Amino acid sequence: MRAVDSVRTVLWPLIFSLSLSYVVWSFPAYILRFGPPNDALALRAAPAVALDLAMLMVTAAALVIGVIRLRPGVGEGELKNVFDRISLFLSRVTMLLVVALVLVMLYEVVLRYVFERPTLWANELSLWMAGFIFLLSGLYAMQQRTHIRIYLLYDLLPRSAQRLCDTVSALLIAVFAAALVWGSYNEAYAKLMRWETFGTAFDPPIPATMKPMILVVIVLVAIQAIVNLIADWNAKAEIHTVVDTDEIETVINTVGQQHIEREDTRHV
Amino acid sequence: MFDIGTISLILLVAMLVLLAIGMPLGFASAVMAVAVLVMKFGPDLLFGRFGTGPLNILSQRIYGLMTDYVLISIPLFILMANLLERSGIAGEMYNSLNVWLSRTRGGIAIVTSIMAVIMAAMSGIIGGEVVLLGLIALPQMLRLGYDQNLAIGTICASGSLGTMIPPSIVLIIYGLITETSIKALFTASFLPGFVLASFIIIYIVIRTQLNPSLAPLPQPEKGEPVGREKGILFLTFLTTLTAGFALVLFLRAAFLTGTGQNAAVAGVDAITLGTPDYVWKFGIVLLLALALIFLAFGRDRLRISWRMGKGLVAPLVVIGVVLGSIYGGITGITEAAGMGVVAVALIAALRGEMSFGLLWESVKRTLRATGTIIWVTIGATALAGAYTIAGGPTYIANTIIGAELPTMGIILMMMVIFLFMGAFMDWVGIVLLVMPVFLPIVLRLPVEEIGMFGDLNPRHVAIWFGVVFTMNMQVSFLSPPFGPAAFYLKSVAPPRISLTDIFKGFLPFIGIQLLALSVLLIWPPIVSLFL
Repeated sequence: MRAVDSVRTVLWPLIFSLSLSYVVWSFPAYILRFGPPNDALALRAAPAVALDLAMLMVTAAALVIGVIRLRPGVGEGELKNVFDRISLFLSRVTMLLVVALVLVMLYEVVLRYVFERPTLWANELSLWMAGFIFLLSGLYAMQQRTHIRIYLLYDLLPRSAQRLCDTVSALLIAVFAAALVWGSYNEAYAKLMRWETFGTAFDPPIPATMKPMILVVIVLVAIQAIVNLIADWNAKAEIHTVVDTDEIETVINTVGQQHIEREDTRHV
Repeated sequence: MFDIGTISLILLVAMLVLLAIGMPLGFASAVMAVAVLVMKFGPDLLFGRFGTGPLNILSQRIYGLMTDYVLISIPLFILMANLLERSGIAGEMYNSLNVWLSRTRGGIAIVTSIMAVIMAAMSGIIGGEVVLLGLIALPQMLRLGYDQNLAIGTICASGSLGTMIPPSIVLIIYGLITETSIKALFTASFLPGFVLASFIIIYIVIRTQLNPSLAPLPQPEKGEPVGREKGILFLTFLTTLTAGFALVLFLRAAFLTGTGQNAAVAGVDAITLGTPDYVWKFGIVLLLALALIFLAFGRDRLRISWRMGKGLVAPLVVIGVVLGSIYGGITGITEAAGMGVVAVALIAALRGEMSFGLLWESVKRTLRATGTIIWVTIGATALAGAYTIAGGPTYIANTIIGAELPTMGIILMMMVIFLFMGAFMDWVGIVLLVMPVFLPIVLRLPVEEIGMFGDLNPRHVAIWFGVVFTMNMQVSFLSPPFGPAAFYLKSVAPPRISLTDIFKGFLPFIGIQLLALSVLLIWPPIVSLFL
């Protein structure tokens, strides 16, 4: 990949994640400015000011531009609609989070074991970021259609029956999302409005963000499942194998680049 | 609303239907979790008021999972494996191993097995490993005229070891859902993993010694060291490695002493290999090794042996970082995985292979694999939570225990179910869906009746069962009709080798795996040896 392309790939996801981090971190300010009256929170934070609003704008702009300028990578298939683009853009943000997670961990280990000055924040920040990674990775897997399924019977069915199966399964995913929101909305909303924190020295708002995030992502995944159903409606039947063709290609390329003995076996 | 027997039956049937129609495993489990709650509490209680009710249990379970620190090790180990696959570390290791064993009968097959073990100790997933060995070792074995079945079986059976030898993602997930110590699981699976690997190697040696035509030797290369000289060179190389590790540990102990971190504190475990007395111990080892190299072996041998063996250094460093972090008491599993990622990335950078493209592609694949594994976990956690509230596991355990079946009979039945399911389903699904039901039963079986020889420590039953499970999964990777290893190998094998040929090659190796499994079943305390 050329340097220009690298920059192009990460630029908007990076801007988005940085500005979103700011927005999430100062979220109480937005609640106080735009939300219902909240006396308990008013003791801990001040309403949003111009800077906060500007960061919100930047986040929204980065999202829109990033989604528009997104290009699918190798082996990611074509993007058929705007939901695919949004899911893929969020996956790029999540990929940055994975890199950040490794760096945070490295920083902590070096500080703790070499300088004997452990940070208060690194472990909990990892935990917080990892939660987002776990949730959003499911959206990416849904868009890429890589969730584990058993194709044994499915592949034998005619395409029309496959469509019926897909419809049932997409609807049931939506049922699950609805049931989860039905049962957990109040708790998630309350934790968000209270801006409930982890109760430690660093005190990140993990409950306040993760609880609503679970519901949001599950709804997104359900939407993506239905979008997939529509997008694949006219697709031809294909036979699925247990192997990951992408991975095989990668290894072939890697080995091919090295000067390892690879004679043609036809001469045997 | 319904009694638990009815719920269990409906759950089983509905789950099978949903899986048959190709619904993603994680979501099928999640929907069944909702269904179980509906059957237990009735729709009125569940959907009576928006925003609250027993359904909240599901999101609480998911929240608990999302904030589990150990779970972070999974994306990190996957990332490490992806980086390894994309770097040339493995290929160079193969060349290095091959140099030492090129004149041995069945050498390449043995090299393949050893390489698989080393790679298994670096990463915990299969697939990539089988493909890699299939690309590197298979053409060479076929060219030399190795028996095709032997070649195929060796590659796939060894390539599947990744889930058996720590760090293993199967064991991490098992430890998470059964609340078993993952470090203990790793320690316990070490020996059975090596037993299996050595069975494979012994099998290769015996077959090729009895019938040398199965594995012809290559033509000797000009100027290649032979016989005694090669042995001495190998000793030189080992001594160099020893010197290197002694140097690192010496510096570590010296650093810890210098900063006073290792001062003995009552009640706190001493740092492994890091107390002040280790400074001079490692110092002596280092000096002895250096003396041997320069006085006995000589510089020429040092130079030659280093050139022959240097491909082994990077993998050993990676293993040292990961397993050293876990067992040296330095960090937990999660940080060990993080350090493994850093180590592999650094080595790839030193080798000049690191680029933005390589990193980005690795992270992308990591994200995808993480999504698939974690979301099955999410769904299964929800289902396990709902089913437990409905009283399912207790009910099933009572039924089975109440039936007064012989202990080993129950366990053998479970093995059959594992092997059967393993032929159709990914290990993730089995460990997440079946374990919550099976393990409570096993834990209630009379421990003195488990196995035939030796007494299993009652506290180690869950650990033992986890190791038994991973051994079962070894078989499932190879078993027809859907053993994934066969499909991975097929994708890189010459076209004339059919899938049937591949499965035929597996047969003796499946026998070896079953033998290793029966060792575990007959003599369970094997898992406690290092604990």
